[in-house]
Amino acid sequence: MERLWKLTEETGKHVLLIGLGLLTMIPIIWMISISLRSEQYVFSGHLVWTGPLHWENYVKALTEVPFFRWLGNSLRIGVIQTLGQVFIGVCAAFAFAYYRFPGRDILFLFVLMTMMIPMQVTLVPTYLIVNQLDALNTLTGVIVPHLASGFAIFLLRQSFISIPRELAEAAAIDGAGAFRLLWTVYIRMSGTILWTLGVIAFLSNFNEFNWPLLVLTDPELMPLPLAFQYFRTETQMDWGATMAIATLSMVPVLILYLVAQRYIVDGFAQSGLKG
Amino acid sequence: MKKPILGYRRKMLLLPLFFLIPALLLYAVFFVYPFLFTFLLSFQQWDMISPERTFVGLENYAVLLDDEVFWKSMRNTLLYLLMTMPISIALGLGLALLMESLMRGRVVYRFLFYLPVVSPIAVIAIVWSLMYDDQRGIVNSLLMLFGIDGPNWLSDTSSSLWAVAIVGIWKGFGYEMLLYVSGLKSIDKGLYEAASIDGAGRWRRLVHIILPLLSPITLFIVIMGIISSFQNFALIKIMTGGGPNNSSNVLVYQLYQEAFQFFSIGKAAAISVILFAIILLITTVQLRLSRSTVHY
Repeated sequence: MERLWKLTEETGKHVLLIGLGLLTMIPIIWMISISLRSEQYVFSGHLVWTGPLHWENYVKALTEVPFFRWLGNSLRIGVIQTLGQVFIGVCAAFAFAYYRFPGRDILFLFVLMTMMIPMQVTLVPTYLIVNQLDALNTLTGVIVPHLASGFAIFLLRQSFISIPRELAEAAAIDGAGAFRLLWTVYIRMSGTILWTLGVIAFLSNFNEFNWPLLVLTDPELMPLPLAFQYFRTETQMDWGATMAIATLSMVPVLILYLVAQRYIVDGFAQSGLKG
Repeated sequence: MKKPILGYRRKMLLLPLFFLIPALLLYAVFFVYPFLFTFLLSFQQWDMISPERTFVGLENYAVLLDDEVFWKSMRNTLLYLLMTMPISIALGLGLALLMESLMRGRVVYRFLFYLPVVSPIAVIAIVWSLMYDDQRGIVNSLLMLFGIDGPNWLSDTSSSLWAVAIVGIWKGFGYEMLLYVSGLKSIDKGLYEAASIDGAGRWRRLVHIILPLLSPITLFIVIMGIISSFQNFALIKIMTGGGPNNSSNVLVYQLYQEAFQFFSIGKAAAISVILFAIILLITTVQLRLSRSTVHY
């Protein structure tokens, strides 16, 4: 009797969760469904499209606008910015975790503080600086101002201090210099957290909208999140093609999410922070 | 034995500095300097183009306090927070509890509910704009199934902020869910069983054991939630442009308009300073409160 009750309860929970899951997926289903409709059926009011599939929306999205160029820009920004953030984060985190020096705790507090302050507080002067450096409309101007990431430094430092100090000291006695120590002890032992950081940072850099919007006005340089804004105004709301672009923009994110889901979840378990 | 070139003490000072230099330089140029510069600009009048910046004292602040749009943005910023955070936390916590009690299938649900969080915000904003279409958008079509005649979501002053807030909730609750899931995993199962042997029912276990143990996570979610809800720019920019009649304008969007559409840099900087002051105030109050209410 008790088993039957448990089974019923479990089934009930699944029904509820499947319902909520479908509700959550509506925008995604809608996006894909619109991307396959011809213009006159965009507003048919149906969530799922059962008529003929209009793949020409995708042909339009791939040929009428420089989709691959924008994708390339997005990937370049995502990869370079992420590598930079991780590299700078590793160096700073090593200093915070391994060395003892005056002012260390205050500096670390400062790093934490930078995470709490929204980018908008420093937005205008940062824009002016980038302008002054003649870096508007360059990928450098998009990437460099956000290379020092409080999130990266914090996450790596938390991971580094959990590595037993004896390991580092033993290596130091064996004659390892600072770089060897960092490489053979700290980096080698932080594989998971480095991947986690990499994935979370890449997703957030790849999806970033606000800062590139200010820095880049040249359509040739735009990453995807900006570019299809531009597409949208130029073609007078060709919704089928716009949704095709939207769907295509989701693909890289989705692939990474599928492959690296474990790292994202691990990152949460370890840090409880987002990028 | 080779003689060390630098004394040990000096080495222990110089080496960390060496590793910190890239980060410190970047912070100096792209954080500290702009941060201080914002304060300076907020006391000046400037259009970004002319070579002269004139000192006007507190005038920018005075203008803002007299500006109807500013008060609307301020009100909407706080309203948006109140619209999104409680629902998002309740959904996140509810789903986490539900999922953790399952025997199988957790991974699939976790994947589904977290998908909105990793989706590009610009894509989400475009898709929802179409969903909100008055005539045949899917939102009103679905409401019609229940006999509800939905509003013209994005172009009605009474619904535009809600429309954006719903997207904010949709995009964010998976994040709260994942945090609560990791929190629930760390709760000692023994505590749970002891309470159940003592005869505590589900509801009492939830209220007296689980929720108190999750309170550090809730505090963290509240603080991060406030900060991220104040940064709600992309949705406003793409979906409503702050309109109609500023009914969905928020501080960060007004800041953008003042700086990059109206070129009143001083006024934009003053909004930045006010934004900073609000966040400082809220986080300080939160942390004070947490000392007495959070149970570890």
